[in-house]
Amino acid sequence: MSTLRERSPVAYALAGPVTLWMAAALVAPTLFIVWVSLWTTRTFSTANPLGVVNYVRFFHRPAYVKVLADTVEQALLLMAITGLVGYGIAYFLAVKVERPGVRLALFLAFVIPFWTSALIRTIAWIPFLGVGGVINTALLALRVVDRPVEAFLFSRAGITLAQVSFYTLLAAGPVVYTLRNIPRSLREAAHCLKASPLRVFWRIVLPLTLPGIVIGQILVFLNVMADFATAQAIGGHKLAYLGNLVIMLYESGQLPFASVIAVLLMACMLAGVAVLLKVVDVRRLGAP
Amino acid sequence: MTAAAHDLELRGVTKRFGSFVAVDDVSLVVEKGQFVCLLGPSGCGKTTTLRLIAGLEEADAGEIRIAGARVDDVPPWRRDIAMMFQDFALFPHMTVARQVGFGLEMLRQPREEIRRRVGEILDTFEIAGLGPRKPDTLSGGQKQRVALARALITRPRILLLDEPIGSLDFSLREAVMLELKDVQRRAGISFVWVTHDQNEAFSLGDRVVVMNHARIEQVGEPEEIFELPRTRFVAAFIQGHNVFDGTVERADATGVVVATSAGRFVVPLRDTPAPAPGAAASFSVRAELLDERPGPEHANRVLATCHAVEYLGSVRRWDLRLADGRSVKLERSGRTACRLAEGETVTLGWRIDDTVLHAPAEGVGGVGGHIGAPHVDQ
Repeated sequence: MSTLRERSPVAYALAGPVTLWMAAALVAPTLFIVWVSLWTTRTFSTANPLGVVNYVRFFHRPAYVKVLADTVEQALLLMAITGLVGYGIAYFLAVKVERPGVRLALFLAFVIPFWTSALIRTIAWIPFLGVGGVINTALLALRVVDRPVEAFLFSRAGITLAQVSFYTLLAAGPVVYTLRNIPRSLREAAHCLKASPLRVFWRIVLPLTLPGIVIGQILVFLNVMADFATAQAIGGHKLAYLGNLVIMLYESGQLPFASVIAVLLMACMLAGVAVLLKVVDVRRLGAP
Repeated sequence: MTAAAHDLELRGVTKRFGSFVAVDDVSLVVEKGQFVCLLGPSGCGKTTTLRLIAGLEEADAGEIRIAGARVDDVPPWRRDIAMMFQDFALFPHMTVARQVGFGLEMLRQPREEIRRRVGEILDTFEIAGLGPRKPDTLSGGQKQRVALARALITRPRILLLDEPIGSLDFSLREAVMLELKDVQRRAGISFVWVTHDQNEAFSLGDRVVVMNHARIEQVGEPEEIFELPRTRFVAAFIQGHNVFDGTVERADATGVVVATSAGRFVVPLRDTPAPAPGAAASFSVRAELLDERPGPEHANRVLATCHAVEYLGSVRRWDLRLADGRSVKLERSGRTACRLAEGETVTLGWRIDDTVLHAPAEGVGGVGGHIGAPHVDQ
């Protein structure tokens, strides 16, 4: 508990520096992007009025709308997969592994790959998925296939596989935390009240870890929505999500249109977070 | 189930955690409707014993029977028991009504039946108004009642309680103790109550089981435990006893003479066989049976100097020092003529019959755990 009263001047003074920083580094650039998205010409001049023509243009191009739909769909797919896989890993780490040393070792094995840069992790998938890559070599050796499968690289399956490996940690981490916060006596009390392990899971463990699941889902959703590197490295130039579109347009100098897509991306993210926060009051996370 | 079956029976139950023996060869019988208290210091194995009965731990050896049937392979959710946890273990996401009905819901009772019985039991425990509330809005006493209602609603044969009033305010404990005893009497359910507090154990238990170092030291009615502590540990753990250690000097059919660094004392033999001369022996005498003006019947005597006087309300306690520096307690209750002042030296005496010889310490661990009692080394 804070010893500061909510409205004490000291509290405002302490919040001052970070407020200034957030305003300069986050709020101002965001407003700037919104402003640029409303330009009606490629460059800004006071003679040209602001307008929504760029937005109208976006929604009149089926190809762009499809990219938007693909991006949201990919995010939902990743949420589903990492949600299930992540919960399984979290449950194993937090509940099934009883020795603290073993738990720490497994947790580190899970986390340490994330100490390398995202770019390296992405590139590392290429020799894995490629035509002469690990998977294909193994499949050929096992005579499962007689020709290398090209669909692993430069495909949605490949991108999804790589993204699952990157983002499962984000889905699992908060669940590990909420699972560890459930006192063992709650599960034991439920057992003594005639609940079998499966029913203890559904009635006690799952509801109590819901905040962790939601936080994890928010993190996965935001990261997949903003992810352009994976699609670029593994998908080649065949596949694009909103993030790739922003880069493409920016590189070709179409700043207002790139801003439109950035704004739409942010809007999707805000909407997604708002929906997820409806599911559970995250402020209660960590409360006993 | 046969008519003669006990509600609960433990036979040679042993539980190890790695190389640590938490429960060592414990045997115990609980008759139908009996109130049994497991009493002992922390780490003595009493909670593990309770968890073994519940099925939350698996025994490494021995067997556990509930109503005559072996339950060693029966999981907790199929045993005819309920358990109350020290922290109450209320489900934070469920309303009081929902969690009180949880046990019945798990037994797949019809919804209407659950509603009716939850209403009934909430009325019984005078918490009818709490039904829609969540646990985090309840006081300690209310949580305790909810936990009890939740445990009893399935009408278990045995209720296991792990320090159930340990987390309550001191002022609440007395009332809650009486209420729980009353509940137990009316419901006819066997209670196995774990505590480290001798007052709880003595005022509640039909029988008290004193445990130390994973083993049972003594089982008996509260009076029996208090008046005839079987081992040195029991005498030292139960407050109000003076413990002496020494060596057997002579022994005959009726008693032994034990030499200690504070003098020689005559100790009667009860059902214990006479120890051989030269063997280590310990005995105890209750603090309220010491007499500061001994008469001819007080054959055991020792010279002591008054060190401090404690006034405890209905009881007054003197802390005296013997010639060898060890401390001895003298207690008087009510209005007493005893007026020993600090610094005063007196002869303390007590009857030979009030001296209790302890069973010799067995196996590893030996004597230990003395609390507030003199310990006279050789």
